[in-house]
Amino acid sequence: MKKMFGLILIFAVLSTGSVFANGNKEAAGDKQITIGLSVDQLFESRIATNNGVKAEAAKNGFKVIEVVADGDAQTQNSQIQTLIAQKVDAILVCAVDQNTIETALMKAKKAGITVISYDRDLPGSKSTSASSAPDSISDGLNCGKYVAEAIKGRTDKVVILELLGALNDQNGIDRSKGFNDALKGKNVEIIQMPTDWASDRALAATQNAFQANPNIAAIFAATDTQIPSIETVLTDMGKLKKIGEDGHVIVVGINGSYDGYVSVKNGTADGISVMDCKTIGETAVKLAIKAMKGEAVEKVVVPGNFYTTKNIEANKASIWGAK
Amino acid sequence: MNIIKKYLSKKRWVAIVFATFFLGVILTFVSPVFLKFNNLQSVLVQASVTGIVAVGMTFIILTGGIDISLGAILFFTSALFAKIIVGTGSYIFAFVAAIGSACLLGLLNGFLVNKFKMSPLITTLATYTMYRGMAIHLTSAQNVPVPREFGFIGNGKIAGIPVPIILLFIVFGIGIYLLTKTRFGLYVRAIGNSSQSAIESNLPVKKVTLMVYLIGGFTSAIAALILLARVGGLQSGIGIGVEFTVIAAVVLGGTKLSGGAGTVVGSVIGAIFLVLIDNGLNLMNASPYIYDIVRGAVLLTAVIIDRVSIVRQTKHLLEQKAMRIESSKNI
Repeated sequence: MKKMFGLILIFAVLSTGSVFANGNKEAAGDKQITIGLSVDQLFESRIATNNGVKAEAAKNGFKVIEVVADGDAQTQNSQIQTLIAQKVDAILVCAVDQNTIETALMKAKKAGITVISYDRDLPGSKSTSASSAPDSISDGLNCGKYVAEAIKGRTDKVVILELLGALNDQNGIDRSKGFNDALKGKNVEIIQMPTDWASDRALAATQNAFQANPNIAAIFAATDTQIPSIETVLTDMGKLKKIGEDGHVIVVGINGSYDGYVSVKNGTADGISVMDCKTIGETAVKLAIKAMKGEAVEKVVVPGNFYTTKNIEANKASIWGAK
Repeated sequence: MNIIKKYLSKKRWVAIVFATFFLGVILTFVSPVFLKFNNLQSVLVQASVTGIVAVGMTFIILTGGIDISLGAILFFTSALFAKIIVGTGSYIFAFVAAIGSACLLGLLNGFLVNKFKMSPLITTLATYTMYRGMAIHLTSAQNVPVPREFGFIGNGKIAGIPVPIILLFIVFGIGIYLLTKTRFGLYVRAIGNSSQSAIESNLPVKKVTLMVYLIGGFTSAIAALILLARVGGLQSGIGIGVEFTVIAAVVLGGTKLSGGAGTVVGSVIGAIFLVLIDNGLNLMNASPYIYDIVRGAVLLTAVIIDRVSIVRQTKHLLEQKAMRIESSKNI
């Protein structure tokens, strides 16, 4: 009986407390805006983008609730449901898998929550108001154009190895498209190998590709975090030469990680297209603000910058991984 | 034919040797570079990480257990090693801490399985999430490049042989010795055959269980160091899915998922077989979209073979039992 009484007392105190708390919030009148940040997975470039989101949110006095799905679409689905239950004002989402979370995002939309996708566009989605994503096609084009320029004048068929990202990732698909578009009509043979963004798979793929095609003259990595793996294989074969040295294998990539920066600076890789992660993150919040006000918003793509060995050091400040 | 069947059911790893040989023959015809020394050496280097962890996983599966967290231990070990080496520059400290922590994490898995009698699958699924979380927390999900000279473990050669291959053979040799020449190996199989009988026979079941999970952790640490050296630094994707490739290698190598029967030789050849599939697809310049289909089909075949052999063995045991009952009736 005593226990029962104790429980009732605790419940009563808590309820009174929450009533007062709500009362205070309402009395303040100016409700703080809360943004739910649904992250697919944590890794370097995603953190750089998230930092852009958080900085812009802090500037506007918004509260951010961050949830990370660790690459599991079902987890992300339930995390979005939780954000809806927490009555956030907007959800910024980087999807693990668009199809799995679309229903949850629709539910958010129906609950009056603004949904903005960031870093990874959700093509055809009916739930999102807009997206802020890297211009992956232009990033791929940058790399392709560099290779096209570097092999200009060669009369033989140039063999190029392309290390693909994840086959179902829009950014991976677009990077490949841009790269291939830039080399269309050139006398090249592009060998594509899937890596699922993983460096160990890139390592094995590069190793195998060189066994089948020892004359590979250029390598395009969908993410420059794979460049050290490429260098491992080139070292194994005694082919790791700097730009300008005889037998140099052209290496280009996309991202802007520390690994990419160091290799380009050293001249063992030629160039990287650096994503503007900070702007992508900031833009996502700006889009959310506009959409919450009822203003029209649309997809924003943020182009990256291509830096080569010649100018990478001068642009170090704008490379997110080099800081 | 019956002799072959009998031999295959006794020496389950022979099937994977045949399969690997058969695949090798096909690849020799398909690609002129397959049989070249450099390619075969490259296959072994690639198989080293999976092969080394597969040795540890074999011991675990042989006891009837499983460890889903080995990829996460690999990730945590890499993270710890990279952080220490960058922070202190001390290789000895980094090696001891990395290998020691991997053994401890493995030991924790064994302890949880022992103490709370939980399913190893669920236990290690939980610790998988925990260990990955610990590694991400340790590094704040940032990449940590390791010094280039550390690359020796991944790219160096001793007497012309790549270091990863040497490490693979050392772990392989120790694994074979432990499993076939020691009492510990005998206990491992006995527990897998029937843990109840093992307990009733007063075998040190708990100690052996702890030990196999510790071996799993240890092999993950060795693999982690090779992988870290080869990819040039820590990345948050390291180790994801490794456990499934490893389980596939072990099952392909003839180890029963239910425990009791299996060999280290089979598991290492299973790892080589899996690398050969990727190597073959790469050499053929196959479409990037068919890789997963081929891998999945191979895995499915392995599971079906495992299932069929269990059914066949159960049938065989039942027949023997029936014969014994029959003969006792005659007496």
